[in-house]
Amino acid sequence: MTQKLLIAGTVLSLLLSGCGQNAPELDGKNNITDGSDIGGDTVSIDENGAGYGSGGSMGNYNSSSDGFRSVYFGFGDYTIAPNMESNMNTNVKVGSSASAKIKIEGNCDEFGTDEYNYALGLKRAKAVKDSLAAQGVSSSKMVLVSFGESSPVCNEPSDTCYDRNRRVDLRLVK
Amino acid sequence: MQYVFVVLLAMNLFTSTLFAVDARLKIEKDVEQRVRIALVDGSMDQSSKVFNIFLSDLKISGHFLADTVHHQGDISSNMLPPTLKSQEYVLRYSLNQQSGSQLDVRLLKGSDGSQLFKKSYSIPTTDKMPFLIHKAISDINDMMQYPDISWITRYVVYAVYSSPGLSEIRLADYTFNYKKTIIRGGLNLFPKWADKDQRSLYYTSYKGTVPALYKLNIYNGSKEEIVSSDGMLVCSDVNSNGTKLLLTMAPEGQADIYEYNLGSRSKTRVTDFKGIDVNGKYVDDENSIVFISNRLGYANVFKKSIHSPATSQVVYHGRNNNACDAHGGKIVYSSRESNNAFGGNTFNLYLTSSGSSDTRPLTTTGTNQFPRFSSDGSTVLFLKQSGRSSSIGYINLTSQQSLLFPFNDRKIQSIDW
Repeated sequence: MTQKLLIAGTVLSLLLSGCGQNAPELDGKNNITDGSDIGGDTVSIDENGAGYGSGGSMGNYNSSSDGFRSVYFGFGDYTIAPNMESNMNTNVKVGSSASAKIKIEGNCDEFGTDEYNYALGLKRAKAVKDSLAAQGVSSSKMVLVSFGESSPVCNEPSDTCYDRNRRVDLRLVK
Repeated sequence: MQYVFVVLLAMNLFTSTLFAVDARLKIEKDVEQRVRIALVDGSMDQSSKVFNIFLSDLKISGHFLADTVHHQGDISSNMLPPTLKSQEYVLRYSLNQQSGSQLDVRLLKGSDGSQLFKKSYSIPTTDKMPFLIHKAISDINDMMQYPDISWITRYVVYAVYSSPGLSEIRLADYTFNYKKTIIRGGLNLFPKWADKDQRSLYYTSYKGTVPALYKLNIYNGSKEEIVSSDGMLVCSDVNSNGTKLLLTMAPEGQADIYEYNLGSRSKTRVTDFKGIDVNGKYVDDENSIVFISNRLGYANVFKKSIHSPATSQVVYHGRNNNACDAHGGKIVYSSRESNNAFGGNTFNLYLTSSGSSDTRPLTTTGTNQFPRFSSDGSTVLFLKQSGRSSSIGYINLTSQQSLLFPFNDRKIQSIDW
């Protein structure tokens, strides 16, 4: 009985894995058309000079500026580590006296995928913002942006390099 | 004796599930069910590139078993050499690119050389030649009343990082033989088709202080700003009639998923979680979404009604399932299956559905990411990396045919088709 069941199971499995379709019978056709439905030519837009990428504001995109210091994070982490206390103290001082808006930029290493990595960068930026706000910097003068993995400061395949890319940069909005 | 049957049964189940559609381990089990077809090139300048595009189209359709010999012969002849008599069909073609591109095709019956189909396709340029071939094969497929494969005629749009802080958005055909940069300069990310006809696309621009979502008409260059947001802004999905968007945005510094109504210019918050919620995709009747969240402490796939708070877990395996796509009730997601902090991780794709827990692997080797369904949900596109080589892969979910095309470009940021 067991043997019969096994034979039936094997045959059924082989049949199911081989199901397909037959070629239909065809009537003769003789059609002429053109390729107009493939569509016309598409545009090509150059956004150089339209802000980021123009050189000016991108010149120092990959590290903090205006007296701020970058804050670095562990792999996949978005909590501020104790060894970043000195950097944060500097940022509180600079941020408290800043007259312009502060842009807080979250960044990641390359080991993530599209949207999730940008959200991770944002969580890092928000952690820095919340810490600054808790120490007296006005929330209304801070703006968050996540750059995900798009703006590495280092491209070497080394742990040290990846560490440098998992960071939050701060600068004044000009 | 019964042990032999046990081994046979186990081997068959093993090969037809675990390794069923992996791009490198595909087992050609259904060759007898596809119709045999040969290609005969009647072009003045015969090209292996053109021939290979024909072969790719025929293979990924899942309906044809193409002869891989590059035969040559006059397109106007109805005479078939004896070596082609064993083929059920013979496709004669001629491509002329002296002024624009003109492709002539004739489908003949292998048994008697009678003509079944004839068409001529022309466009004023040469670079979009692959689309002529895709259109011809799609038309022949339709004429033979096989399931639709018109997705092969569609554009793929993708963003690549060109240097730190800079990106480019490009168009390609599905084989990536045609490529064109449509946006260069600045940091422009997350391109997403805005309509079924692929006339416009959404993308995120970083040219302002905060990210902004733009809609671009790719034919006349007109564009408009749709919305901007603190933190991040991504158009993750567009509903079927193009009137609503699923956006990941962070107006209060917290990445959540919103549904944006283009008519009223209003947004509805769909998720509200202190961690990470991203990658919203309409599912089922577009009253629900699937999305990626770390609410269990790691990235995983969840499902939620747009209008009620109930959220359910969709995937119950893996410790890092950080990207997904959906079509109707079908869900494809990538799952990290190793735990190296830096590089060398294996990511595999899995297919599941919103209404059941049935899950099957689509890949078994390499790093497989960015899964995207075709417009009809029949095929999955993905990026495969093995060692230092990158490929764009396609898996036909019905026929289980798979194809890989070398991807010789910069690092992909996002892709849609």
